[in-house]
Amino acid sequence: MLTYREKDNLIYKLHPFTIIAFIIIVFILSLLFSSPFFLLGLLLAVVSVIKAAGTLNEWKKYIKFSLTIIMLIMIINALFAQNGATILYRSPHLPLFGTLSISLESLAYGLGMSVRLLVIISVFCLYTYVVNPDKSLRLWGGLGSKSVLAITLSTRLFPLMIKDFQRISEVQRCRGAKLYSGKMWERIKNFLPIISILLISSLERALQISESMHARAYGSGPRSFYHKDLWHPRDFLILIVSAGGLLLGIWSYLKGWSAYAYYPALARYNLNEIIIAIIISISLMFPAVLNWGWMLFPSLRSRI
Amino acid sequence: MDAVPKLAIEDLSYYYPETNTPALNRINLEIPEGQFLIIAGESGSGKSSLLRIISGLAPEFYGGSSQGRISLDDVDIKQLKQRELLQKMGIVFQNPESQLIMMSVEQELVFGLENLGLPNNLMRRRLMEVSGALGLSSYLDSFIPELSGGQKQKIALASVLAMQPEILLLDEPSSQLDPIAAQEFLAVVRQLNEDHGLTIILVEQRLERCCHLADRIIFMEQGQICYDYKVKERGANQWTYKLPAVFLPPIPKLFAGLGYKKLPMTVKQGRKILHEDFPSLAENKQVSVTVSKTSAGAEEQQNIVDIRSLYFSYPNGQEVLKNIDLSINSGDFIAVMGENGAGKSTLLKNINGLLKAGRGQIKMLNRDTGKMTVEELAADIGYLPQDSMDYLFLPSVGEELTYTIKNRNLPDDGFKEHISKKLNLKPFLECNPRDLSAGEAQRVVIASILLSRPSLLLLDEPTRGLDNHMKEKLGELLLQLNSEGTAIVMVTHDVEFVAQYARDLILMFGGIIVTKGSKYEILPQSTYYAPQMCKLFRNIADGVLKADEGKEILAQLIQYREEIM
Repeated sequence: MLTYREKDNLIYKLHPFTIIAFIIIVFILSLLFSSPFFLLGLLLAVVSVIKAAGTLNEWKKYIKFSLTIIMLIMIINALFAQNGATILYRSPHLPLFGTLSISLESLAYGLGMSVRLLVIISVFCLYTYVVNPDKSLRLWGGLGSKSVLAITLSTRLFPLMIKDFQRISEVQRCRGAKLYSGKMWERIKNFLPIISILLISSLERALQISESMHARAYGSGPRSFYHKDLWHPRDFLILIVSAGGLLLGIWSYLKGWSAYAYYPALARYNLNEIIIAIIISISLMFPAVLNWGWMLFPSLRSRI
Repeated sequence: MDAVPKLAIEDLSYYYPETNTPALNRINLEIPEGQFLIIAGESGSGKSSLLRIISGLAPEFYGGSSQGRISLDDVDIKQLKQRELLQKMGIVFQNPESQLIMMSVEQELVFGLENLGLPNNLMRRRLMEVSGALGLSSYLDSFIPELSGGQKQKIALASVLAMQPEILLLDEPSSQLDPIAAQEFLAVVRQLNEDHGLTIILVEQRLERCCHLADRIIFMEQGQICYDYKVKERGANQWTYKLPAVFLPPIPKLFAGLGYKKLPMTVKQGRKILHEDFPSLAENKQVSVTVSKTSAGAEEQQNIVDIRSLYFSYPNGQEVLKNIDLSINSGDFIAVMGENGAGKSTLLKNINGLLKAGRGQIKMLNRDTGKMTVEELAADIGYLPQDSMDYLFLPSVGEELTYTIKNRNLPDDGFKEHISKKLNLKPFLECNPRDLSAGEAQRVVIASILLSRPSLLLLDEPTRGLDNHMKEKLGELLLQLNSEGTAIVMVTHDVEFVAQYARDLILMFGGIIVTKGSKYEILPQSTYYAPQMCKLFRNIADGVLKADEGKEILAQLIQYREEIM
């Protein structure tokens, strides 16, 4: 049930700060941009890094899971956003809703927002699969907040709880509890004992873990941080190029290039804006490009 | 004048919060530096509480109140800062799953050092030293959830040792491990004591695993130290016949039962006594001793489970069961043994329907289980999990039993009353199952299973975490059920339990059944799986597995000696 698996490529050999900085940059930009071209550029960049990290299959599972939500966003937006000028379909009069019209603009807006959601989901996927949980604990814990540390520790407990859940449901099925057959209501009722056992055992486990933490002097005074992660030229290269992408993105945002007017009619596109979107996208694809060189030229590895 | 003890406990009493009965009652104990002390006693006798209070976890972490004084190098530990005390005392707990905090081994090992605020270069040096000493260097980048229980426990030990404690406290560290991992773990502890002079306090119920390591053994009862034995020379025949039999491991218990005053600790010492006391054995003279064995009833047995050419692979393609043929009949009591990953638990899950066979067929009372759900099979197959707490969820024992009756729509024809009487659960009917001991909670699960009158009982490591007394009770109960016709299949690592109670044995390796047959055919021929009695009487009398058989042989030897004298 453990999500993180170290693989042999450049993305996993980056300093944790570098990869987390990259993820934060893409996340911030995805919130700033509303233009579909800029968002598509971000999506391409983050997917190229996911592919370079060798976690494309895991990403596909995330995407399959999120497709339903995306479809729902598009349908709801198309039905309820009635500002579009280019009407594609007008419904007959419906009770409660009146006449609903589906416009090209509302579909495009739904599509644009779906791309933003895909970027955010992909960034989350990258964080889950590529960032070593211990290293992120250390980075966040370094900020000094105990609550941040507690949250990160609870993510450590999560895989254990999933394992517990599987084991307990097996035992309860052997006891005769119908978890996967019978009426919906009965199934829900039969799941209650499992949740109850899971809660109790998680509480007991949390107590044992905190006892173990206490016994190893957690909270006994100021902490220090063990680090063996060394900085390499690759980290500086990626940080500089990604920071360039971030600055260009913020500049585009301030200039209004990364915004896009969907309503009332889709705005025309400026070629310069598309070029800037492509530059930002390429700058954020840089880790993938560097990984390509890393895999192709082994001699490059010791240099960067 | 005696040197100042490393640790001195004077008149120590401790009460957990909201209790009136002391968990520790006026304890006095002095432990010199470098001593290997074992604390034994039944569940709830105060062993773990004593460790908690020595380590500073109680009352600091657990709350409650304490009286008396604990001093370390003649300094009252109350005067020490938490950080100072924790640096001097390292504690390793029972369950490896619940004491590791980080994902990677390396991060786990430095966790305590980070908490102590040590500089980075010192942490690196300690990491290098401790991982080298415990052979963990190649695991540093490994992920803890993927390691075995034994490896996890070793990491827990290493993470405590990295803090360089002066006293190492171990709270039943091997109780959740299989015998090989447990032996490996205790060997490391012994090395730490012998090579590094570390003072060790080990709480352990299974003395047969560790008594030969100790310099001193204390026994606790109701929060008090009731026996305190200092071993004059480690490994010598120092067991005393004055100890209550329940504390004694099988070999000293055997000799104590026949009035021996000097009791051996190990098989080696036991054989030495035999050869000294019965010179005819040493001279290789033929001694005609035989074991009378009770054989299985020959009455007609009903076939319950029939497995033919069973293959099973997990979704990742790993083939875990290969060509399994097995017949389980009413009245069978079969133990399934083999190393971890041999396919034992997978076999159980195929029988109770949690996993479906890839190829081959399993028939339960002549019905193909491939077409039946787990819930349907549950009426005929009772499954006792490793941890009883995965089974029990209601606030009282009585409600647990009623739940089974209602869930299965069984008639309440007084059978519940009968079962709770038979399993001696009547005093606990109002108790919360979580407040019971491991052995009592296990009886509640068995009672709940028996209510649906299953033909087959599957047990997964039923003796893990039980003390000798609880094990004996479980064994007797299983024998009783078996004699009433319930077939039993039990996956276990516990050789002694198998030798004492099971009838037949299956050894699995790499997903195949390597051998199956009577325990009397298989165990005596095995080197690793031979029980202690068998090792003690090897080349003296063949096929001695159980304690009473050992007693019979020893009595025969004594009689034989008296006859020729």
